[in-house]
Amino acid sequence: MKAAPFEHHEPSTTDEAVSLLESLERPTILAGGQSLVPMLRFRLARPETVIDINGIDALDYLREEAGFLRIGALARHADVADADVIAESYGSFADTAPLVADPQIRNRGTVVGSITQADPKGDWGSVLLAHEGAVVAQGPDGERVIPADEFFLLPYDTTLEESELVTEVRVPTPDAREGSAYHKLKRKTGDYAMAGVATRLVFDEDGRIETAGIGMTAVDITNARARDAEDRLEGERPSSALFEEAGELAAEESNPESDEHGDASYKERMIDVLTQRALGDAAERAGVVKRTVSP
Amino acid sequence: MTDERELTLTVNGTERMIEVEPRRLLVHALRENLDLTGTHIGCDTGNCGACTVLVDGEPIKSCLAFAVQADGSEILTVEGMEELPAAAGELHPLQEGFHEEHGLQCGYCTPGMIIAGKALLDENPDPDEDEIREAISGNLCRCTGYQNIVRSIEYAADELESRAAADGGTPIDSTNSSSLGATGSEGKSIDCGLENCCGGPGVGSGDHDDGGSS
Ligand SMILES: Cc1cc2nc3c(=O)[nH]c(=O)nc-3n(C[C@H](O)[C@H](O)[C@H](O)COP(=O)(O)OP(=O)(O)OC[C@H]3O[C@@H](n4cnc5c(N)ncnc54)[C@H](O)[C@@H]3O)c2cc1C
Ligand code: FES
Ligand code: FES
Repeated sequence: MKAAPFEHHEPSTTDEAVSLLESLERPTILAGGQSLVPMLRFRLARPETVIDINGIDALDYLREEAGFLRIGALARHADVADADVIAESYGSFADTAPLVADPQIRNRGTVVGSITQADPKGDWGSVLLAHEGAVVAQGPDGERVIPADEFFLLPYDTTLEESELVTEVRVPTPDAREGSAYHKLKRKTGDYAMAGVATRLVFDEDGRIETAGIGMTAVDITNARARDAEDRLEGERPSSALFEEAGELAAEESNPESDEHGDASYKERMIDVLTQRALGDAAERAGVVKRTVSP
Repeated sequence: MTDERELTLTVNGTERMIEVEPRRLLVHALRENLDLTGTHIGCDTGNCGACTVLVDGEPIKSCLAFAVQADGSEILTVEGMEELPAAAGELHPLQEGFHEEHGLQCGYCTPGMIIAGKALLDENPDPDEDEIREAISGNLCRCTGYQNIVRSIEYAADELESRAAADGGTPIDSTNSSSLGATGSEGKSIDCGLENCCGGPGVGSGDHDDGGSS
């Protein structure tokens, strides 16, 4: 099917894009188009206007600055996979980028577009939650920083206003004793997750877990945090027994649905296993523990 | 609202102008406006990779991009493979590889596979099997089981390497479609198409009659 007709605009600055969003009838933003184009073609979305932001060069960045890793709205999945700063210090991002879709889609699709799409099967939302990151939005009244915990409402629905453009997502730059990871279960290369878990662990000087973040993919109506598991971890020293307990708690907190790929109890069990593995990697990357057994 | 836009695309080295509505997909512009039906449509949802083309050297799925987004870009489709310098006026080593190694059965996925293979070899001239499988992971084939497709791409990598060696170490396929152009056929001046012939220093004096050693 063809997309319904629409007006096409190509602003070259963020301000121009925001004023178009404000003044035009039923606008939609087009970034990589890897989710939007199919939605337009199946007429799941029927905007009057499409605002293509690909010409806003100022949004094409990925850098560490002022205590944050900042990923601009035009940074592609492939840019994350290729960035040195990611390979050096952001384990979860380095794990995730090559697991999103396939090479062609990674060349076009953006991290911001993926998070804004708010598909519960999207990988980046879990990473953003685990890192206690934020979405930065520009609207007619200026800039707003939305914590990841307040961003996702329902499948494909967020707290973003219609006249707001997301300019970047950001996560705090890692501490010296911090590690993160992402593990994803999928049927074949290129697929969406059946289940996925992002973890982030920050240790104190004594080697205890100061902060734990766990984000889950495809097992609830949105990307979801496993708060009970996080609470269980904080203040403790890492051990496989502790990670097993956290895995069980995360599985209990998840709410997967049975589908053709597996029933709910199987997916819960997978969350348990993926959580243990991702915690093990995060702890090892933090340089605090050397793993001897892998669950 | 359904206003048409005029676009300039450089497709397989030739500048083309078309008028399309903003909702026209790149794959439809290629197939229907430009009559380049080598780029296939398999799934229409971004899953199968049959519609893969290079835009400014990067592989993308042309069913997931609007044609207006490609305004001013250079595009390589499977039809352009034979025009590349490495083809030396015949088949490109990738095309030859799919022929030699039986990399296709029905052939529906082949254009996308060849373009995905081209993108890989441009970046990484000596890929291992895992890297090849990763590069074609966005391309589905319902017939072959992939094994022969992997071999076809390996064949092309070997062939390109040996031609480059015969050419005095300079890769003859200068990596992306920008090497194309109205002057594309001049690529032949660095490779006459015969192995170990007039390829550069140390390869002999370019005696064409001697080319049958292979
Ligand atoms: C075959 C296939 C497989 C896939 N597999 C995966 C997978 O394994 N994991 C995964 O996570 N995703 C997967 N995806 C989804 C896809 O990769 C991402 O959702 C996509 O990259 C979204 O980014 P985009 O830039 O293409 O966004 P677009 O499609 O351009 O936009 C998506 C939505 O976000 C809005 N939007 C985009 N940018 C902004 C902005 N700056 N401000 C405000 N709103 C904005 C758009 O209006 C639209 O509603 C897959 C998609 C396909 C087609
Ligand atoms: S037709 Fe484009 S990916 Fe299948
Ligand atoms: S050869 Fe038939 S789909 Fe690949």
